Amino acid sequence: MYERYSRQMLFAPIGKNGQEKLRAKHVLMIGAGALGSSNGEILTRAGVGKLTIVDRDYVEASNLQRQQLYTEEDVLQKLPKAVAAERRLRAINSDVELCAVVGDATPEMLDELVKGVDLILDATDNFETRMALNDIAHKYQIPWIYGACVGSFGMSFTIIPGKTPCLNCLLKSLPVQGMTCDTVGIIAPTVQMVVAHQTAEALKILVEDWEALRHSFVSFDLWRNQYSSMKMSRAKDESCLSCGSERTYPYLSRENLMKSEVLCGRDTVQIRPSKEGEVDLNELAAHLSSIHYEVKGNPYLLSIEMEANRIVIFKDGRALIHGTKDLAQARSIYQRLLG
Amino acid sequence: MNKILFFAHLKDEVGEENIRIDVAGRTVAEVKELLAAEYNLQKLDSAMTAINEEFASNENVIEAGDEVAFIPPVSGG
Repeated sequence: MYERYSRQMLFAPIGKNGQEKLRAKHVLMIGAGALGSSNGEILTRAGVGKLTIVDRDYVEASNLQRQQLYTEEDVLQKLPKAVAAERRLRAINSDVELCAVVGDATPEMLDELVKGVDLILDATDNFETRMALNDIAHKYQIPWIYGACVGSFGMSFTIIPGKTPCLNCLLKSLPVQGMTCDTVGIIAPTVQMVVAHQTAEALKILVEDWEALRHSFVSFDLWRNQYSSMKMSRAKDESCLSCGSERTYPYLSRENLMKSEVLCGRDTVQIRPSKEGEVDLNELAAHLSSIHYEVKGNPYLLSIEMEANRIVIFKDGRALIHGTKDLAQARSIYQRLLG
Repeated sequence: MNKILFFAHLKDEVGEENIRIDVAGRTVAEVKELLAAEYNLQKLDSAMTAINEEFASNENVIEAGDEVAFIPPVSGG
């Protein structure tokens, strides 16, 4: 039964003992896009006991360049990514217990899903979900591994509740309007490099080799040939509301969440961002036009034509997503454009 | 004198991977403000800062000879 893992067990820091530990562990992976595809495949091949995959999107043609679990057939069938990922991973290793969850990783859902989980892998595409995930991880004392990438630039950091600084210590607040893969693109090697850092750390945690963990914040740019490793011992903030002594887990509360609602009688969802802030419409319009989105606008709003939807973004960050009644899909479209 | 390094889109916006400028005695927040104005950088305030490859907060003071790096957090995945 262990034949398929023989080369991994030959690796001294894992061994048979480590392999058995790995087999007893449950990993929760949030997101099944590029990071999720690659993280999921490595952990499934490695023989993790159970992998739960959460994703709210379905497979599209523009995913195939880097999201390695998916095929043209998945695009034709518009399969939810969580479902397509589960099918592919089951074919790769039937030994692993796989659980696919199609839906938005809201704080309520995360609270349900983390029970009995040994590690959370971040494969999301937005900071709002990451901050909620960070709060949940600290509430239940579960390690999690931040990973993110855009263009040729990627980064990763391992967060161990009670030991390391947390994401909220580093960012202090939700960054407004980040760059996303849908606005500045992404090349597959960036994804693989982030995943290499995430999965190496994941294996260390799952086989309980705590001493081997990397304590630095890694970032790199594969096109511009930059690599940085930032020491984090000074980053822990004792007054942090997510991991400090008077923590309130701010990103689990309703007022800090993006609000979305279906507008009555219309095929439209309204999104209101969690953080009030002016969006620079001129900059956004210039950028989206330059990458071939059809953008129209006036000083108050922008209207963006997409394949099946029309998106109207107002100066205060509010948006109307026309052509859908699906809240998760609308939130996904919004975060793909505005981060 | 200090060496300032820029990562990801900041490097493109500045047009250089690094610059040399004397900012000794100033806080990280002050240097961010100065550079944002000088190079018209939109999102420098949300970038993480490292002084001599160690995480630094906005209140940290930069000393002579320190190397300062600005790393913008990204959200794609």
